[in-house]
Amino acid sequence: MDRGLLAAGLGVSRRSFLEGLGGVGGSRLLMAGMSALGFGIASAQAAPPALSDGRGKKVAVLGAGLAGLTAAYELSKAGYDVTVIEARDFAGGRCQTARKGFKLTELGGETQDCDFDEGNYINHGPWRIPYHHQSTLHYTKAFNIPLEVFVNDNDASYVMFGRGKGPLAGKPIRKGQVAADIRGGAAEILAKSVKQGALDGQMTAEDREQFIAYLVHEGYLTNDLAYKGSEGRGFDIAPGAGTNPGPGKPSTPNSFTDVLHSGAWRTLASVSNYEQQKTMFQPVGGMDRIAKGFEAAVGKLIKYSTQVKSLKQNATGVEIAFVDGAGKAGTLKADYCICTIPLSVLRQMDVQVSKPFKEAIGAVSYALVGKIGLQMKRRFWEEDHHIYGGHVYFDDPQINSMTLPSTGFQGQKGVLLGYYNFGAQAAKVSALSPAERRALAGRAGDKVFPGYSENIDSAFSASWHLIEHNLGGWAQWSDESRASAYPILCEPDGRLYLAGEHLSYMTGWQAGAIESAWQQIAKLHARAHAA
Amino acid sequence: MRFVLAFALVGASLSVQPAAAADGRSLYMDNCAACHRPTGAGVPGAFPALVGSKLIQGDPKEPITRVLQGRGGMPSFHDELSDQQIAVILSYVRQSWGNKGKPVNPTQVSAQRGGKRQNTKAVLQAH
Repeated sequence: MDRGLLAAGLGVSRRSFLEGLGGVGGSRLLMAGMSALGFGIASAQAAPPALSDGRGKKVAVLGAGLAGLTAAYELSKAGYDVTVIEARDFAGGRCQTARKGFKLTELGGETQDCDFDEGNYINHGPWRIPYHHQSTLHYTKAFNIPLEVFVNDNDASYVMFGRGKGPLAGKPIRKGQVAADIRGGAAEILAKSVKQGALDGQMTAEDREQFIAYLVHEGYLTNDLAYKGSEGRGFDIAPGAGTNPGPGKPSTPNSFTDVLHSGAWRTLASVSNYEQQKTMFQPVGGMDRIAKGFEAAVGKLIKYSTQVKSLKQNATGVEIAFVDGAGKAGTLKADYCICTIPLSVLRQMDVQVSKPFKEAIGAVSYALVGKIGLQMKRRFWEEDHHIYGGHVYFDDPQINSMTLPSTGFQGQKGVLLGYYNFGAQAAKVSALSPAERRALAGRAGDKVFPGYSENIDSAFSASWHLIEHNLGGWAQWSDESRASAYPILCEPDGRLYLAGEHLSYMTGWQAGAIESAWQQIAKLHARAHAA
Repeated sequence: MRFVLAFALVGASLSVQPAAAADGRSLYMDNCAACHRPTGAGVPGAFPALVGSKLIQGDPKEPITRVLQGRGGMPSFHDELSDQQIAVILSYVRQSWGNKGKPVNPTQVSAQRGGKRQNTKAVLQAH
């Protein structure tokens, strides 16, 4: 009887209210549940296509980044005759790690010679691996590359929002305190409103009771529905032994208004995005361990320091003209070509493809991206602030985040990431000399950690849009170019197959490069076998 | 609260330099020179030269569009630079290194605002 009444009347609005809520948070939970059952959106591809009997067909792979290395590894294992042409004198593409002896000369810039201490490094390219990037994890496992957790979220790290308003603006606040106070304050307001009947039209009495119970739980509210702080935001005096400090002294929350106007809450959703969720990994010793893993297997197939000059093709094969490291010109003939050269570079090359394909290559933008690694004389963030890894969020767009190392805890020195900037801001910072970039990062750091800049004893910066052979951090498809150009490039043009992060919906991630390569070699294999 | 706000406004009006005083060369060096180089020569095979460029010296609509919207490897400066600043930079570029374009005024930039932006990602974290 009750049910009938509800369905006929009140129930509709109540259901739509709850479904409305579901639209915000529920769908994410639903997807997480589906993933757990094995048919979620993470599934993409967790293992390479099973290929065999390549019959010695020749495949030219252009570029020894992760897409090219993946293609070379899988195709050569399957019996294809693979040659890889790589412009640099090392493999990995953007999967690079700067450590002692690593050199980088940006276009128009001075040469930086990394002189971090032995054992210290910065991953100035890709630096983290989400747990659901099963393709990347497939190879770290296959090559026995040890992983460690990349601390991608840290309640103890600071949020420092200088552009906010009110008394908290420009002050470093612990992220956990921001979270506790904004959630507590919001829960209090909502709980009191619901209690006073604000949502009686949308909720049944039972819903209301459960909802208030949830808010009390979520916001650590008192019996009278007030937020007066929570243990989770930390203590003014931490609990300890005996009677002094004994139970310690709880901390006092910042006022809801102050937290609201500081803008610091904007950081809270950052790492809850699907691609930023815990657990995050990094290879022990540097991201380039992945490149080295591939190199051990297929290094002998790679022609290093060799630049592609042109690509021609006809109905029977491809011909690639190149100049090797000694300046000697040569050609490579093959049955098929897998080209992993970034589109930012490829669009300026002499490549024989159809007009629509050529236009599609030119339709994508590349991200301007800058990073700097700073070797610090002392791990003051650990020793003085008790922050072990994670990001300090800083709302100067030339900085964005200062990321503390997830390795070498309690050691003497450490390398942290001093900025991670994008777009026009990355353009501006990249106009600075390496010394000026270091000074810029130092000035920002001093606002968060006293003595920061004095502690810098070595720096290494990279601006990906100024790095030859890359000319950008990653592909950035607009909705329009995704719809028009992207599908064209995902299919072969004659005997040419493109692969790389740019041909995935995981742009900028190593998994995008690997899974794109898997997809293209599977197509190539099917065609080679049909021929 | 009202007092604080009024104070902030006074403070702002005192501290902001008239944008007209901004110098074309210094704005160019800050925003453009990393890729297009201090000489405007660009980097062959990577970033286009502005020296002698027909596009740069011709109808100002094209260069204004590129600065506002971005294109290819070039970011959008829509939110980074004011109309005044874009006009000053483009005037500098159109009249330097032997280029002979007409200066650009801020109203020409204002007229083209509101177009679709590319290459922007207002994020604290990526990848």
